[in-house]
Amino acid sequence: MRRQIPLALVFIFGVFMIFQYFVPHESSEWIYEFLLDWIYIIGIFALALGIWSLIRVSVAKIKTRKSGWGYPVITMAGLFLMILFGFTGYRDGSWGFHFMTAEGLSNPMFRNFFDYIMIPIQSTMFALLAFFIASAAYRAFRARNVLASLLLVAALVVMLRFNPYLGPFGTIIADTASWLLNVPNLAAKRAIIIGIGLGMVGTALKIILGIERGYMGKG
Amino acid sequence: MRRTTIIAMAVVLGLFILSWILRSASYVTVQEHYLIGGLKVTFSAFLTLAILSFLYKDNPFYKFAEHLFVGVSAAFWMSMGFWTTIVGNLVPRISQSLSEFFQVPYQPGSYNFVYFIPVILGIMLLMRLSRNRGWLARWPLAFIVGTTAGLNFVRYLRSDFMEQVSATFVPLFVDWKGVGYFISHFSLSASGQFVAIVANWVIFLGVICGIIYFFFSKEHKGVFGAASRVGIWVLMITFGASFGYTVMGRISLLVGRITFLFRDWLGWIS
Amino acid sequence: MKCKSLVILLFVCGFFALAAAEEGSGPPDSTHVDSIPPPTPVSMLTARDSENDHGHSVTLMWELSTDDGAGQNSVLSYEIFRWVPFFMDTLQSIRDSLAGAEGTIAEQLRKRRDQAIAMIPGAHKSYPEQGGWRKIGTALSGQSSYEDVGVKDRGSPDYMADHTDYYYLVDAVTADPAIRAPSEIVGPVQSFGQFFNTGRIPVFVAVLVFGLLTILFVTRARRGAELYVRPLAGIEAVDDAIGRATEMGKPILYVLGLGSAADIGTIASFTILGRVAKRVAEYQTKLIVPCYDPIVMTVAQETVKAAFLDAGRPDDYYEDIVYFVTQSQFAYVAAVNGTMLRELPATNMYMGVFFAESLILAETGALAGSIQIAGTDQVAQLPFFIVACDYTLIGEELYAASAYLGREPILLGSLKAQDYAKAAVIILAALGLLAASLNWTAFINLFSVTS
Repeated sequence: MRRQIPLALVFIFGVFMIFQYFVPHESSEWIYEFLLDWIYIIGIFALALGIWSLIRVSVAKIKTRKSGWGYPVITMAGLFLMILFGFTGYRDGSWGFHFMTAEGLSNPMFRNFFDYIMIPIQSTMFALLAFFIASAAYRAFRARNVLASLLLVAALVVMLRFNPYLGPFGTIIADTASWLLNVPNLAAKRAIIIGIGLGMVGTALKIILGIERGYMGKG
Repeated sequence: MRRTTIIAMAVVLGLFILSWILRSASYVTVQEHYLIGGLKVTFSAFLTLAILSFLYKDNPFYKFAEHLFVGVSAAFWMSMGFWTTIVGNLVPRISQSLSEFFQVPYQPGSYNFVYFIPVILGIMLLMRLSRNRGWLARWPLAFIVGTTAGLNFVRYLRSDFMEQVSATFVPLFVDWKGVGYFISHFSLSASGQFVAIVANWVIFLGVICGIIYFFFSKEHKGVFGAASRVGIWVLMITFGASFGYTVMGRISLLVGRITFLFRDWLGWIS
Repeated sequence: MKCKSLVILLFVCGFFALAAAEEGSGPPDSTHVDSIPPPTPVSMLTARDSENDHGHSVTLMWELSTDDGAGQNSVLSYEIFRWVPFFMDTLQSIRDSLAGAEGTIAEQLRKRRDQAIAMIPGAHKSYPEQGGWRKIGTALSGQSSYEDVGVKDRGSPDYMADHTDYYYLVDAVTADPAIRAPSEIVGPVQSFGQFFNTGRIPVFVAVLVFGLLTILFVTRARRGAELYVRPLAGIEAVDDAIGRATEMGKPILYVLGLGSAADIGTIASFTILGRVAKRVAEYQTKLIVPCYDPIVMTVAQETVKAAFLDAGRPDDYYEDIVYFVTQSQFAYVAAVNGTMLRELPATNMYMGVFFAESLILAETGALAGSIQIAGTDQVAQLPFFIVACDYTLIGEELYAASAYLGREPILLGSLKAQDYAKAAVIILAALGLLAASLNWTAFINLFSVTS
């Protein structure tokens, strides 16, 4: 019973979504739209579970005075401050349980935390990719075998395609890079996508038919 | 924490406080709340450098920035999710009084009662925390997995299978007007007929060999094995080309942060 | 006398010459050759419900005007008109009032609006007296069709009711907008939604074929046929990687990716996690599973708990093996990076859906000296995993991994089904090559999905 009903639900909703794809009528479209809305709404309840897990793990580290317990304090401080700012605001001359108004955010501290904490860290994390792509290239481009050599040569050709200091070779490299990006690149991507498509379709079908049950855990 | 670490941290913090004072001083004539303006820029620069310090090794500044970011971002998405989805999407459909409380326009409709179902499913998901009723959390999970599986099945069947296969239906000889015409119009330019024909053949063979590489239930021997090897070569060329293609984009991200540090924080460039 | 006559004759001739010259330079009248004569109108104007949609749309088609785009009577565009009852203005004014209203007034206006919407089909039956022609669109010269698309949202001014009589006409318009030729009026035509999208028949056939093939292979596999699967380096390395972590006394880090619990890549990852967790439990190695999505965390907790139970070590399981970090991409990466550098896992496994952070994770893991096995179906991230990790499962190999690790007949049987499908793709591609070369459009159209 505990597994049969969820499997039945998977089958019913899976088959409905397949059926809906072929029925353009308004009633089918309307059901499709509210089913998607339901997924977003349930996702927010799930987020509460996640926050609870984060709080529990942090509080456990703080209570047991585990090494580096000061940092979970910072996590909790950031979490609760942002919750406070996110759920209170100033509207109509008073502070209260406000946030989204017609004019936008009603709590400027929420905006400040986003602009001056989240954005700088996020952008810098993204910028780390520049260093990592160089270190990955340095480590990997050692041409240990034929495959690594092919990867290295293709990467070098494409990287050098806009280099203005290569003289007459510059045009040849640019043309080769353009050909590499438009021809074999397209072929391989298509092969991978066809494989992924078949795998995805096969797995989705197995989920709907109840053959694949890994997502339900056991017991 | 060791004494040298504490001294180093104190020195770094002192330098940032000095930077805050200097930056605020530069804002005196420009901004009303110059201290706050200076603090914002300085703190952003501090966090930027704290993250960049990770490249050297793990250190207390990186740990501080990391833990702060985790807490603030988790609450940020919870806030946004609550106000945009629950208050923006759910509340207007299920309760007029709540809509008035949150000051969002109420949307009456004959079928609005169906929006109580995700609320019930959401509460069932929270049952996960209960020892005895934890199995109830499988129902909303089954709904989400089943709905998405059905959605993915048809859409990927079309986009990743049928459309990709039909895109491989390319002619052997592009714009073929006979051998004489081909010889007289022989061109190595990208728009030339010869290059277009070769490109079609490479795409066709590349796709076939790539697909052969992904065969699981047949041993890759003989002709099949040779085709599979050609397939992995084409794959490796693709991965190399994609890798090279993204390098410039990634470096431009770093340029953005360096510009912030040297222009907005230090004021060394205009 | 003779002189006088000559003068009079000259004067009269001069008068007539003057009169003739003035006539030549006089203002043009309506019959002058410089004005554009009316063009020929469009012909064979038809209107029908648009196909394969949810309704609220009518398609018009016509034969081009013979003066289309050329000559002195050049038709430069076509203007499409629909007959709209005056009643629609009343409805629009109710909508406008509702936009700024609140409370009980808004409720009353809403009721009035809904009542008015119900009266739309009736109002359209008052054609032609109680309404007028309204321009709804323009088509350029050379275009011989137009789709009048409305919305289904009843609150919108662009709402187009289904099962309502609509009338259309098309004007052929020249460079002078006043010079035009109206077509014959066409109608009544009604829009309505279809119950089957005929443009998607190829997909429907594919759904049936795949469904039947899957059921066939699963049934055959249940009978226990032995299946060969070629070795996958990434899968074979999993056991060695777990052994390495056990020997070194260091943990294993398993990252499920940034997908949701419904993503196929994440679902494949759950199965792999279950197998890895079982071996980890047997070897009593530490496992760390930081999660991005809370539902993924829930499922992963159940999976790992069940795996520990299967391995006969339920007491070794504790809740914080699988934990939620944050649902922000780079915050999650920052936290996982920190974990890698502090816990120094011997093995990192990245299985699932990844985005731009893939390289950050893989490189940090490499710096920490871990063995790394990755698998993703995100094509854009594969190059980074290939370059930075020791073993990578490319695309479909991730989905196949669960079959490899468990060796269950049904899962292996479905792998075989996928291989047959790939063989079919190769045959179809070869046939398609022939078809494109020999112009067999019928074959090519079999795979074309039009909507």
